[in-house]
Amino acid sequence: MKLGSTLIQFSIQRPKLITILMVIFTLGLGAFIPQVHVDTDPENMLAEDEAVRLFHTATKEEFALYDVLVLGVVNERHEQGVFNPETLRHVHELSQYAATLSDPENPDYKVVSRNIIAPSNVDAIVQAGLGQVSFDWLMAKPPTSQEKALEIRDLIMDNPLLKGTLASEDGKAMGIYLPITSKKYAHTLSEQLKEKIATLSDNGDQYHITGLPVAEDTFGKEMFVQMAVSAPLAMLVIFLLMLYFFKQFRLVISPMIVAMVAVTSTMGLLIGTGNTLHIMSSMIPIFLMPIAVVDSIHILSEFFDEYPRVGDRRKALLHVIDQLFMPMLYTSLTSAAGFASLALTPIPPVQAFGIFVAIGIMIAWFCTIIFIPAYIMMMPESSLHRLAAQGSGDSHVGTGSLLARLLRGQGRFVHRWPKLIIMATMIMTLFAFYGISKIQVNDNPVKWFTKNHEIRVADEILNNHFRGTYEAYLILESQLAELTPAKAEAELTHMFKSLAADETSKAVVAKALAVLTRAAKEDSTEAMLTLLENDLLDNMDLADETTYDVWDDLIAKVDTFRNRDQVFKRPDVLKYIVDLQNHLLSTGVVGKSSSISDVVKKVHKELFASDPAHYTIPDSVGGVAQCLISFQNSHKPEDLYHLVTPDYRKANIWVQLPNGDNKVMESVVAEVKKYMVGHPPPVNISHQWAGLTYLNVVWQDKMVSGMLKAFLSSFVIVFIMMALLFRSPSWGLLAMVPLTMTIGWIYGIIGFVGKDYDMPVAVLSSLTLGLAVDFAIHFLERSRAAYKKTGSWNTAITAMFEEPARAISRNAIVIAIGFTPLLLAPLVPYKTVGIFLASIMAISALGTMLILPALVTILQAWLFRRYTQKPSIPEEPHA
Amino acid sequence: MPKQSLFILLLLTALLSGPALAAPPLDEIIRRANHVSYYNGDDGRSEVSMTITDSQGRIRNRLFTILRKDVEDGGNQFFFVYFKRPSDVRKTTFLVHKNMERDDDRWMYLPDLDLVKRIAASDKRTSFVGSDYFYEDVSGRNINADHHELTAEDDTYYVIKNTPKKPDDVEFSSYTVWIDKNNFMPMKAEYTDKNGEVYRTMEVLAMETIQGHPTVTKSRISDLATGSNTVTEFRNIKYNIDLDRNIFSERYLRRPPREARQ
Repeated sequence: MKLGSTLIQFSIQRPKLITILMVIFTLGLGAFIPQVHVDTDPENMLAEDEAVRLFHTATKEEFALYDVLVLGVVNERHEQGVFNPETLRHVHELSQYAATLSDPENPDYKVVSRNIIAPSNVDAIVQAGLGQVSFDWLMAKPPTSQEKALEIRDLIMDNPLLKGTLASEDGKAMGIYLPITSKKYAHTLSEQLKEKIATLSDNGDQYHITGLPVAEDTFGKEMFVQMAVSAPLAMLVIFLLMLYFFKQFRLVISPMIVAMVAVTSTMGLLIGTGNTLHIMSSMIPIFLMPIAVVDSIHILSEFFDEYPRVGDRRKALLHVIDQLFMPMLYTSLTSAAGFASLALTPIPPVQAFGIFVAIGIMIAWFCTIIFIPAYIMMMPESSLHRLAAQGSGDSHVGTGSLLARLLRGQGRFVHRWPKLIIMATMIMTLFAFYGISKIQVNDNPVKWFTKNHEIRVADEILNNHFRGTYEAYLILESQLAELTPAKAEAELTHMFKSLAADETSKAVVAKALAVLTRAAKEDSTEAMLTLLENDLLDNMDLADETTYDVWDDLIAKVDTFRNRDQVFKRPDVLKYIVDLQNHLLSTGVVGKSSSISDVVKKVHKELFASDPAHYTIPDSVGGVAQCLISFQNSHKPEDLYHLVTPDYRKANIWVQLPNGDNKVMESVVAEVKKYMVGHPPPVNISHQWAGLTYLNVVWQDKMVSGMLKAFLSSFVIVFIMMALLFRSPSWGLLAMVPLTMTIGWIYGIIGFVGKDYDMPVAVLSSLTLGLAVDFAIHFLERSRAAYKKTGSWNTAITAMFEEPARAISRNAIVIAIGFTPLLLAPLVPYKTVGIFLASIMAISALGTMLILPALVTILQAWLFRRYTQKPSIPEEPHA
Repeated sequence: MPKQSLFILLLLTALLSGPALAAPPLDEIIRRANHVSYYNGDDGRSEVSMTITDSQGRIRNRLFTILRKDVEDGGNQFFFVYFKRPSDVRKTTFLVHKNMERDDDRWMYLPDLDLVKRIAASDKRTSFVGSDYFYEDVSGRNINADHHELTAEDDTYYVIKNTPKKPDDVEFSSYTVWIDKNNFMPMKAEYTDKNGEVYRTMEVLAMETIQGHPTVTKSRISDLATGSNTVTEFRNIKYNIDLDRNIFSERYLRRPPREARQ
């Protein structure tokens, strides 16, 4: 007796017990599912302690930056666009309303009202007549006349910080930027806003909501809807197709049961082990289902052909299982290995996904082996009789069906023209390589929605009007070297001497230099400066009217020296930032950037009666500092600290991109790096990126390189397993051919049609590997068996294009068509999975049944050399 | 002097009304609280250090001298502010002419830009040099801008709720002040936003009697919305130093008087 038939003895004898055990197992694990903890945050694609992520979080905290939802108001009807009293009244009402909003289910999730960017919540620096400058709310109250509305427009257009951000340059759109305490609130907030918008009167205003947090949060929400709709729908189609092939309702229900068991227990295990249900893990059911039914279909297909011939279900089952046990074990192991290799990627949700799909595959395999025979044993005799009756004469699926006739024709073709097939394969492979070389690695969460989805529409409209709703933060940090007391003394000596103008001051400076020399004996520069400042203060207290000011100036010099690392007050550094920003703008991909330099220039200009000639950086640190302290006489002085830290050691350049594609962000990153190398800043400044748009690039990079690593290693593992299974490296290599071709062609096509290599496409490579190898295993294993039986490949190949080819084809058709409902999903990754599954099935089935027989035909003498010498093979059935 | 006679009058009232000191009328409480806060002596000088601590615990300091001269007691006033630290804003000066009947006049001088600038003061509830103090906290809110209501009273404090007459001009819906019964010093204030929540507080942290005047030497304003707070300490306080009225003029912004510099 063989391993397979030994294993199923128990199932055949105690089918009810097996069923009960399986139900208990499934329900036991499934009981964990209600404890599900959902996590839709793509940020979690990076580990919590990932350096880039820590930096991103620290940056958000340090510069008081929040994730932002952008509410855009567009008016194309009014001749002045949004700048009419009615629209501005709506804008005012909406922003006042938004300021009060929080998540009803979690009050900690709320709009950060203080940091809203809206006309009613930003200050305008205004020329207020009589040479006065005033800091006032841009729009404390909605304007009552058209004239006043236009005044607001002019103020915005004259403020580089607001222009293109708060209102579009064409005046047709207004942006309200709503910072939120948690991205998880984005979807709920957009729903709350939509409700409010519905109550506003219609004056031609259109409202659009966008921003990465909304896209990401909404995707999470819709994804779960899809999981509840698409997965069962796919299940239904698979069921109907199987019913078409096998006719027997009772028979066909069994793979469904296996799929249910595999999906339920895997998800239960995932949740029970404390994993969150992430975007990735929510796709486990979709991935697991086709793999789970594949093995059952093989058994059923075989049984369906075998039973009418044998007429005894026990004998038929034992025969089928013996025939299929090893191929099924290996197909499952290889599929599992393909997914388990994802554990090598540095992305936690992908790791969990890979591991649990692998576990699910093995659960499915075990259930198939144990439960399907038990199930068949429990079927009523009448169903089986009908099966026997329809047997071979069936017009659709049996040996006389269209499929059967086509396959036979294919077999004859392959046998006659093997070299032609190999030639064609090689030409196509060349094309595939060319296609692969054209692949663009790119992703954008907004593009996970289909083109007509409201989020995509909003994204397109608002980014046409504004300078960009995708945000990234370029953080600059001064890296000043520590000074020794000796060096500090040298610099201070120089600074002190600059104060020696007349006889009085010379005398004071001489005294001060003596104090300095004493202080420089301290161990640390910090201690030296403290001592120095105290000594100078003591001197000043004793000073008379004539020398007092000189002492005061000396102390100021020490203070300036002490604050020398406040580099982002230095004119040369601020001018450098201006140049960098101009360069960014010149790349054409950056919509706008804002920095401390923009604030300084704007204030400087307004202080000088709005004279454009003063739209510059002042020439001294003091000039800059005095512009900034003027700016801080406003309603929201802390706004400054979104762009610079209070110690002026770090600055934030807020970069707005009108396109959130990762490749755009990548080019900006590369451009900044190049610029800073080519144009070194006046002082040592390091730079680093933060912001959601940038984070997406980071995890994409990890994903791509991680996937490649995972893919290559699973490729090697699968090859080793194949070599073991066939006890021959050459047969193992042969088994790798169809899957290599399938993957090559699929990615080649992706390159050709210009589809971006994104997150779903990357993950699907492991599915391709796992599924594509299945057919090869089945085909080669059966070919060898047939050869051993007949001793001639010419005879064997004819047999191969009977039942084995039909099983492969049925499988391919069921899975390919079964997942077409995914194409109806409003989410692009689901469509991608649907198209991918169909392509994998079609290409790998065709590839397997064309290339493999062609290769075997050409190489038969060499491949079968061992079998002609020693004919005893352990797995061979019917010894 | 009118102040003394008023005091005697109050004393008499107190004596006549027996052991329980009768509460003065509400207007009187408000007037005296305003007086003790902003009108001690005829003029005065103090060195002020502000420590601004934001929600992340980051600290910034401001050091300046403030000179004050009353044009009339309880009425118009002049303020002169001279900055000493941080060193890069040293010699920056502010001049405020506080007017009871119209908007204040406000000037600033920025030495490194060599610029004297008038600042519109229609909105006095903007930050004073980036601190949590508003201009109005430095120079005093016009007592006629609010309706006042005595909402509670205990052994120590009069608790007075103030509601703005022009609610659209200010960011608060009302503020409540705890006024010390002994010296009429407002010891604490809480500002309520339009949603009815307290979002801003003022507390007196230390007091001294200087030249006979109860004087705040340390106070704090906290912005609960931003998580920031500013502690202000007053040193070298002197009253009645005979400041020349002329130094409170635009001309002196560039060349601050000795009283401001030292």
